[in-house]
Amino acid sequence: MQPGSAGNGLTGSRGALFEMHAANSAAEDLADVERVLAGEVQTFEGIVRRWQGPLVNMAWRYCRDRGRAEEMAQEAFLRAWRGLEGWRRDSSFSTWLFALAANVFRSELQRFPAVNVPLEDVAEPAGPATQHDGLAERQSDEAVRRAVMALPTRYREPVVLYYFHEMDVAAASRTMGLPEGTVKARLARGREMLRQRFPHLGEQSTSRLSSTLRPQKEVPQ
Amino acid sequence: MKPNVKPEMDHDAIDRILVAEEELIPSSGFLAATMERVREEAARPKPIPFPWMRALPGIVLAAAVLGWGGFELARTGVTAARGFSFTQAELAAAGRALEPAGWVALALVASLLSWLYSRRMAGRSGLL
Repeated sequence: MQPGSAGNGLTGSRGALFEMHAANSAAEDLADVERVLAGEVQTFEGIVRRWQGPLVNMAWRYCRDRGRAEEMAQEAFLRAWRGLEGWRRDSSFSTWLFALAANVFRSELQRFPAVNVPLEDVAEPAGPATQHDGLAERQSDEAVRRAVMALPTRYREPVVLYYFHEMDVAAASRTMGLPEGTVKARLARGREMLRQRFPHLGEQSTSRLSSTLRPQKEVPQ
Repeated sequence: MKPNVKPEMDHDAIDRILVAEEELIPSSGFLAATMERVREEAARPKPIPFPWMRALPGIVLAAAVLGWGGFELARTGVTAARGFSFTQAELAAAGRALEPAGWVALALVASLLSWLYSRRMAGRSGLL
């Protein structure tokens, strides 16, 4: 599926898929890591195969550029390969991998920032009258996603990771290596900035929320 | 499966939009390209670690010599200073004489800080 294509409900299982990855692959990850550390380079392929989807998607949320997302995810896998001995078994492999990847993505974007427009320059979506138009709605959604990229860095990353982790503050804070309270505060500020930029989205929320949020997540892939 | 939604957060259209990001499927060559880079990395000889064990006696000796030198310098200076008594005018003259040395020291410190900062910036940009 292309990143810019229309939302069709298929994404509802993404978070579940990632969660399933973490739960089901823990034993496989551990076994693969042991074998890689014992010198079986090829075994690392299993790790890449299992985690390429989550890492590329996470990188995509950081930069919104497909090619660059794959480059950054590849770099994260290389760093994971080099630092595999540094994984202490006190946290799950996925937690370690996501934290490492977040560090890689953060430093990559510090070196070569993604091309962002200022938050105030992001086009505001059309008003509620056009919201029944599918195309307008998709454009509106895309404008909000682009606006995340225009947030100041300290607020952008918590927002990116919070939604990547399916609105799980604890998981986002583990990935960022920050206390939950800090992440919550930055997240609240980031979301507030988005709400100020798109005030009419708040008006829609009461009427649309019940019919859009939960049912979408139930659509099978 | 429902998303892991925290009850303390209020959910609005922004949540709906941002949580419903579409899944990006990695390109077909991603796995092969990544493994190729991993194999290249594995084939590369590991960097030779710094021989700390061999260098340790030398480092300890150098530290001991420097420490001893510093101690002797201080001891000699204190002993010599006890033998002198300065007038206000002599102290003022000595202060004036030391002023250029202070400026030189300040310039050296500024240079050192500038060098450290440029190294840090170069490190961030991947040059180091």
